[in-house]
Amino acid sequence: MSAEVRILETGQIEAPVSAIYHLFLPGRDLFARRAERLRFLSRDHAMGDYLAFLALLADAQQEVLDQFPEVSLPDADEQARCREQGKPLLDAGSMKRGPIWRNGLKIILQKMRESALPRAASETVAGLMQAAEAVLEETADRILAGNPAEISPQELPFVAAALQVYWVQMASSLREDAFGRPEQGGLCPVCGSYPMAGIVRSGGAEQGLRYLSCSLCASEWHMVRIKCSTCESTQGIDYHILEGSSGAVKMESCSDCGFYLKLLYLGKDSGMEALADDLATLALDMLMEKEGKMRGGPNLLLHFGRPL
Amino acid sequence: MNVTRRQFFKVCAGGLATSSAVALGFSVDNALAEVREFKLTGSSETRNTCPYCSVACGLIMYSMGDKAKNAEPSIFHIEGDPDHPVNRGTLCPKGAGLVDFIHSPDRLKYPEYRAPGASEWKRISWDEAFTRAARLMKDDRDKNFITKNSDGATVNRWLTTGFLAASASSNESGYITHKVVRSTGILAFDNQARV
Repeated sequence: MSAEVRILETGQIEAPVSAIYHLFLPGRDLFARRAERLRFLSRDHAMGDYLAFLALLADAQQEVLDQFPEVSLPDADEQARCREQGKPLLDAGSMKRGPIWRNGLKIILQKMRESALPRAASETVAGLMQAAEAVLEETADRILAGNPAEISPQELPFVAAALQVYWVQMASSLREDAFGRPEQGGLCPVCGSYPMAGIVRSGGAEQGLRYLSCSLCASEWHMVRIKCSTCESTQGIDYHILEGSSGAVKMESCSDCGFYLKLLYLGKDSGMEALADDLATLALDMLMEKEGKMRGGPNLLLHFGRPL
Repeated sequence: MNVTRRQFFKVCAGGLATSSAVALGFSVDNALAEVREFKLTGSSETRNTCPYCSVACGLIMYSMGDKAKNAEPSIFHIEGDPDHPVNRGTLCPKGAGLVDFIHSPDRLKYPEYRAPGASEWKRISWDEAFTRAARLMKDDRDKNFITKNSDGATVNRWLTTGFLAASASSNESGYITHKVVRSTGILAFDNQARV
């Protein structure tokens, strides 16, 4: 007998009555949930101090989101055009950012300054508070262009946190039907960014479906299981787990392109959250690096390090 | 696909010395020590089609074992494929029990023969099984093949033998089944997979 067979009672399962939902936009409580999860994971964790620090950062992000002023959004014509052309409406690479994101950064930095931080972190906060607008814009451009070789590891978490709030603010102000489907299934249909992890949902109409979680705006979009999220190959897909673990986190790697992405199986642990659990399983990334595999997407709250 | 851009997500060899965590003054010594204790193991998820009936539900089969390291993979769980348009992740009770079908001690793994009137099954070789089936089919066809109907029109029918093909068949195997079976004159044949 398989240990994993669950017998469902009438009413416990929803029949699929419609097409698979392609997109879930981030909720307004995203950062609060993230902070809670980071705090939970930070207990007895080898990198607990860093996770607890990120929990503070996520608290600050939530505070900024809660009081975010209204942001101007692309109009209906622009939405229709992007949908038709399969372009991400809030494209991180090409969209003109409003200066308002820097207000968010300012609040985040003020909050973080009030916290007890290691000296290097406090100095980074102080440095960013004094940075010129143009410098911050350039830092943001580099982060959104996604080349970590040009990004300062200590500045990344703070600036990226502010950019995340700005994009979450925009994404959560729109409805799912504002967005189309880009040709590349591995890129966020909302902002065109790379995914930070995949989530295999549990329960309800989405039981067992895989959604990719955006590294910038936290939108989740559907991608068929057992398919490489980098090159979309369906051959040579392997799954790696930590020996002796429950298999709640698997790494889906592709022998065609050599990239992998973590998959979080909510059926095994319903408390998991993409950003927090991705960082809490950094050990898996180090083990995959030894196998010669590369991550298919970033986690914007941790620079993995520049080549020395 | 912008693969070069993604290459920068690489976790740097030699640990996290230049990572944000270290740059901001957090210790990663424990994390590095922990990694030395850890080991990865391989597993797989594979799509397949339920072999039972003509609905042909999509399956995902989970197994442990590293294909790359030549370890014998062992399927430990099977569930409905949530992406499959036919069953959207659901399975009937027979399909949900497939993993036990795979590991059943009574599973048929080789040809067996029970002679008319005998009570015992006897294991035979594949060669013997094919030869015997072919011989019996040929004898039956020679005896019962109908070349012309009552009006004298050529029909070339073989009505005394039928053929049932598998469920998890592709279009291509359906095509080949049709070609092979129809060319003998058999009319009664069916394929469980009518998708």
